[in-house]
Amino acid sequence: MTTLDSLREKLGIAEPWVESRGTHWLNPGSIGLRELAKVMNQVQARFVTITAYQLPGDEGFRLEYHWDLEGRLLGFPFLAKGSSMASIFDLCEAADWIEREVHEGFAIDFTGRDYEPLLLRPGDAPGVNLREIPAPVKPPTGLQGQEEVAR
Amino acid sequence: MSYKIPMGPYHPGLEEPYKLDMICEGETVRDAELHIGFNFRGIEHLAETRNYFQVIALMERVCGICSFIHTLTLCQSMEQLAALEPPPRAKYIRVVMAELERLHSHVLWAGIAAKLMGFKTMFMTCFALREKVMDILQAISGNRVNYSMNRVGGVNRDIEDPLALLPAVDELEREMMRTVIPIFTTSSTARSRCAGIGVLTHEKAISCAVVGPTARASGVAQDLRRAAPYAVYAELDFEVPVEQAGDVRARLFVRALEIIESCRILRQALSKMPPGEIAVGGDKFSFATGTATSRVEAPRGEVMYSVTWKENSRNPARVHVRTPTYANMPAVRWMVRGARLADTPLIQASIDPCYSCTDR
Repeated sequence: MTTLDSLREKLGIAEPWVESRGTHWLNPGSIGLRELAKVMNQVQARFVTITAYQLPGDEGFRLEYHWDLEGRLLGFPFLAKGSSMASIFDLCEAADWIEREVHEGFAIDFTGRDYEPLLLRPGDAPGVNLREIPAPVKPPTGLQGQEEVAR
Repeated sequence: MSYKIPMGPYHPGLEEPYKLDMICEGETVRDAELHIGFNFRGIEHLAETRNYFQVIALMERVCGICSFIHTLTLCQSMEQLAALEPPPRAKYIRVVMAELERLHSHVLWAGIAAKLMGFKTMFMTCFALREKVMDILQAISGNRVNYSMNRVGGVNRDIEDPLALLPAVDELEREMMRTVIPIFTTSSTARSRCAGIGVLTHEKAISCAVVGPTARASGVAQDLRRAAPYAVYAELDFEVPVEQAGDVRARLFVRALEIIESCRILRQALSKMPPGEIAVGGDKFSFATGTATSRVEAPRGEVMYSVTWKENSRNPARVHVRTPTYANMPAVRWMVRGARLADTPLIQASIDPCYSCTDR
């Protein structure tokens, strides 16, 4: 049985696990996502899902990666700045559909892989489902608007 | 020469809208591509626009078969954010409903599998049994599909006389043991259609991270009721059936044995149900800022909800749902490789797929 502390040591992370509302959280710090995925494969953790959140303003996205280790749900939060994140599909084939779904829902690009449409239909654009897109600037109305259009 | 045969999104061999493009050589399937999204409803986005009462009614509609499980998982997450612990009786009622739903789902699946095997009499027998399970669900909840049983802090309806339901559970188990299980496990029709068909190896089951009966039929002994107990499963005695063969027959065996275990759990839960309140917390809730996660073993496998709230808000900021078919469906590609084309409807049905859940 792999203990949480032995997993933390294997990852080389000094910060402790924090158990909060159903998940054991570990801040990955400087550990890269792909490095984490390799270690999770080694300890035979089962990939569960990725939950994506859009952060306010231009802060980007928070992606929470979840694995199950012998009944314990593990969570690792990663920040994706500039709408881009490394793909783990080649290391963890179970991540295929959820990477495609997050790509379609939030227009996040998982680098190093190709996409087939999953939930989107022809004509839809990535980000249409869950990404908050600023409302378009209203065109000027009234006499001033007419003058602008005339110009 | 290889050629592509599209099956779906609307096809007599599929019960729900999705598409399998099969690359065949003669009658043998060499590879398959899966396409989903035909039933996409944007429920995760809709959830952000619903208040804490409405979101429960919304998530109940993610799936028509395991509607109770979805609200249970959601409510367990919301209870963590509201720092509420449901009373013991409510937890027992949740177990009773969850196991009745498992029975209902497994018997319905058995009927559909029988139909796909060309075993129409068995289809009718299974659906007659399913009616009896639904009658019990209706007697408890007043509803046959969306039960409206769960609420934050407990359940909406009590089971006034739990022991009165025991004869119905006994009768169900008797019928299963007398007809459904022996026929499925010993008849030559079932054996010839299921044995050695649609194999998912243990290694592939692990790498695809499949869940539920699909995983347990490939030798992966995982069940959240045992590994991460919720409600009162830790207080109940039951087995987790595991098979090694990984074929359609193994998936059938696992579900058949789970029907017996569900009856066993139901008898214990109904007998041990303590008196007391069925809900706490009243009608007004305040949720802490943050994320709560809950997982439940649905009939098809693990369901996970991540619910995020901002304090003083009536609506969730984010609800993410990971359903079991979403985890199991990609493995169908490996199950159908090398299979006969005629077996593919049964193979895809053997994971008990739910596209309503998958597409959300």
